[in-house]
Amino acid sequence: MFDKILFGVGAASGLYLVRNLYTMLMVLPDEAAQGMIYRIMFFHIPSWWTCFICFFIAGAASGYSIAKKNFRADSLAVAATEVGLAFTFVGLATGMIWAKIIWGIWWTWDARLTWAFITALTYAAYLMMRNMIPDPNERMRVSGALNVFSFASVVICYKAIDWWRTQHPGAVMSFRTGGGNIDPAMEGMTYQNLFAFLMLCLVLVTVRLRQEESLRTLEGMRRLAFTRQRIAVLG
Amino acid sequence: MLRMSWTIFLKDVRMEFRGKEALNASLAFALVVLILFSFAFDPTSEQIREITGGLLWILFAFSGVLLVNRSFVREQSNDCLDVLLVSKVPASSLLLGKTMANLVFILLVEAVCLPVFSVLYNISMFQLPLWLLGVCLLASWAIAILGTAFAAMTVNLRLRELMLPVMLYPMIIPALAAAMYLTNNIAAGKVPVGDDLIWVRLLVGFNVIFTTLSLGLIDTILVD
Amino acid sequence: MDQRNFTYMFYGFAAAWLILALYVVSLVSRGRKLADQLETLKRTLSQEKG
Repeated sequence: MFDKILFGVGAASGLYLVRNLYTMLMVLPDEAAQGMIYRIMFFHIPSWWTCFICFFIAGAASGYSIAKKNFRADSLAVAATEVGLAFTFVGLATGMIWAKIIWGIWWTWDARLTWAFITALTYAAYLMMRNMIPDPNERMRVSGALNVFSFASVVICYKAIDWWRTQHPGAVMSFRTGGGNIDPAMEGMTYQNLFAFLMLCLVLVTVRLRQEESLRTLEGMRRLAFTRQRIAVLG
Repeated sequence: MLRMSWTIFLKDVRMEFRGKEALNASLAFALVVLILFSFAFDPTSEQIREITGGLLWILFAFSGVLLVNRSFVREQSNDCLDVLLVSKVPASSLLLGKTMANLVFILLVEAVCLPVFSVLYNISMFQLPLWLLGVCLLASWAIAILGTAFAAMTVNLRLRELMLPVMLYPMIIPALAAAMYLTNNIAAGKVPVGDDLIWVRLLVGFNVIFTTLSLGLIDTILVD
Repeated sequence: MDQRNFTYMFYGFAAAWLILALYVVSLVSRGRKLADQLETLKRTLSQEKG
């Protein structure tokens, strides 16, 4: 039953994204200064927000998992980190393609771009580290601590790099500027795509979470089989 | 707690000075890279002044990792680490003591490299000795505390020499960036004032936050 | 300019969809592998018991 609901939500998010695609391309007009290319922002901005939310959840879940020795929270942390990393790559790719048109270059060492790159590296290191620790208990402790470190460093890095001169466009959404910088229809579109992304993200995190749980079961059973074998040999 | 850290610190320093393995290797590495720099660009040009800080701190970060990598590996023979953990020493004292020892080693490498760099590339690094000392202390502490905490995380891994830098460098970027910026100013003989002080504050804040975090999390990393 | 603009918009959309699709595919394949392993192990364990 749960599987069906999960699949249903996933399919719904996919359909929602397709429907958004239609509105974006057929209903909304081109932007005055940027032309067609601005539509990339409907993917760029929501994917970054989704990735922030994922990393925040991962940090909180890691803190909880090491404080309470909770394996489920640890699974949630790794699931959220991995999905967040996928959305980070979406944000990076779409941003680079947009920059090629607007700035004429694929990449610039602007504050936020640098930050995004560092963040991706930090969390990729976390995932690599996890795969290298065979013992589940030690894995939870060490990678949990590492995730808390990563979150702290990512937050500090965001502030630190912001002091460099930035080329990245400022906030346009009305809740940060008080309105007037963006057409309401376009802003609505951004929120709709964000909603679709969040639905997709929820499904992906849940799927990954259950995989991590069954991986843990698998490891437990392997140990059991190994012990039994040893007993059989010794006995 | 501090007294125990001091004991650990003395033990580590004594152990290192007896063999000098890591220290010698790291120093040799640093000097080799210093010579390599001269091939990367024209060593007599003025342009080197603008990248002094960057070169030096990349060098110190690399040789620093060689040093901190050893600090928990050293305890692995004869299961010394397990004995240390079941002894009365709390894990945070252990971390603090080892960090202080690593700080001393990194500062030693810097103390050798800075004069050599100034002589070889004709840049006087010592126009503002107090500022230089302050920046070196703060940034080296940042490398030492995070490096030692991560060395504790990676000590049981097969690929620890590889994983430590992969994890460490992205996280100390803010501290290194600040140190590079300030060192550039110091090499040019400019006292950091006004807006530049934000980098000093960044270094201090970075150290406070990560020292607290490391001391708080080291129990989870090593014990239980 | 406009043509290029359109092409790059298309690239951007494609990139976003492709990355997510690749992630979903990798997730599904990993899940399948995991289920297979779990099944094999379960069978082995029950055989040993019996």
